[in-house]
Amino acid sequence: MELNIYAYKCKRCGELHYPYKTICKKCGENDHNEFDIVPLPKKGKLLTFTTLYTLPSDYEVVTLALGIVELEDGNRITGQLDIKNPKIGMKVDGKVEVVRKDLYKKHLGMIFYKA
Amino acid sequence: MREVYVAGIGITSFSRLEYPLVEIAAYPGLMALRDSGLKKVDHLYVANMGGGRINGQTGLASAVVDHMSLTPAGAETIENGPASGASAIKQGYMAIASGMHDVVMVIGAERMREANPLEATDFVATLTHPQAEYIYGVTLPALAGMFTRLYMEKYGVTARHLAMVAVKNHKNAMDNFYAHLHEDITIEGILDSPEASTNNPYVADPLRFYDVCPVSDGGACLILATAEVMKKINKPMIRLAGIGQATDTHCVHERKDPTELLAVREAARQSFKMAGVKPSDVSVAELHDAFTILEIAESEEVGFFKKGEGHLALERGETQIGGKIPINPSGGLKAKGHPVGATGVGQAHEIVLQLRGEAGKRQVKNAKVGFTCNFGGFGNNVVCLTFIKE
Repeated sequence: MELNIYAYKCKRCGELHYPYKTICKKCGENDHNEFDIVPLPKKGKLLTFTTLYTLPSDYEVVTLALGIVELEDGNRITGQLDIKNPKIGMKVDGKVEVVRKDLYKKHLGMIFYKA
Repeated sequence: MREVYVAGIGITSFSRLEYPLVEIAAYPGLMALRDSGLKKVDHLYVANMGGGRINGQTGLASAVVDHMSLTPAGAETIENGPASGASAIKQGYMAIASGMHDVVMVIGAERMREANPLEATDFVATLTHPQAEYIYGVTLPALAGMFTRLYMEKYGVTARHLAMVAVKNHKNAMDNFYAHLHEDITIEGILDSPEASTNNPYVADPLRFYDVCPVSDGGACLILATAEVMKKINKPMIRLAGIGQATDTHCVHERKDPTELLAVREAARQSFKMAGVKPSDVSVAELHDAFTILEIAESEEVGFFKKGEGHLALERGETQIGGKIPINPSGGLKAKGHPVGATGVGQAHEIVLQLRGEAGKRQVKNAKVGFTCNFGGFGNNVVCLTFIKE
């Protein structure tokens, strides 16, 4: 089964939210808070990135590359990068994989590769 | 609404302090009481972010009010991330302006160095969005690194501009006894020399070690009072004239243009409007330079310079002491230090010193209007204060 990251689409106005919100940011309608769950696309372009050298204590790697990606549908997502020489504007492809492990749990999230 | 004045101020060193959090809060309170000549206060607000998590001390305000033998005065702990300090000052202002209290003590205190540096960074990282940022390993330096890269791309800010902010603020801190870092760094040492990459390694590329504030312990205090109380004590009339606060999206990626700090823009606009002044009237400012890029970006967003031109004003020396609008004469978060919950009160402390003319070697001449920008999260909760000397 293919894993996805999901966005929340307002049933009234169609606005997409990632991450989830209780009230739609566009129509502000609050007599319902119903959203359709839709998978975020995985292709996009790299908006900005950094390589982090001081990591939270539960990481076993020395550096971590992080970036913000603008996805095909215009939504944006923060994710990890597995790209040798990232450049602003480059095309990337995402996969949902383990991004953080702690004692109790493996956390899934989007890791981007060069398209 | 009643006018609100600063009756007394106090501060600890911002560094590593080997005594309990409650005392880090109480000592600046004691100094402020002495400074004002007052013995009692009606209410206490204590700004703190990590007491529960790092120091195992919850309900800090209750502990402080007893430690200072100020009971039965009311006391509340205020947590608003790194903007806790200015938020607590805002609460103090509202308590007095509304007529509820006449004298309010506002303390900011933090003891972060009880945790190791990785834990301290992780503690601050809990400010980020738990599912959409934190799980990826996103920390505040990571968000600042991504912000800096965009800023460089869009406006032509370079590593040299960032280093210039660090050098300026470290130089200012040399004249601040209470500053965390007394290190007179040079552009050569952190950027140009062969040793620079060792002296100044990357933390969150393109940000390097000297672009990032230290992890500090520290406390600061402001006693706020009515005009009536001020008549009874012989202190300069420094009025808290304007307060603005605004928020922005929790996730940085949700911002339409992630190089814009809309909460800073809006909080500053409100603060200036309430005080009845313009950005060009400001004689001295303390901006939240947790990362060097933020001093540049905030100097634009609050209205001192046009968007994208802050680094040019920095080049021209306009933000130095003696320049058109001196920024961070205290050394800023960069060199004075950043005990998160205390920072906003620390900024206000510096502005009051400057407006009173008590800042010694780092005194800005004829300072009449002072401004602070206290930046919470990565710009998702910002409080700006304007002080006027009467």
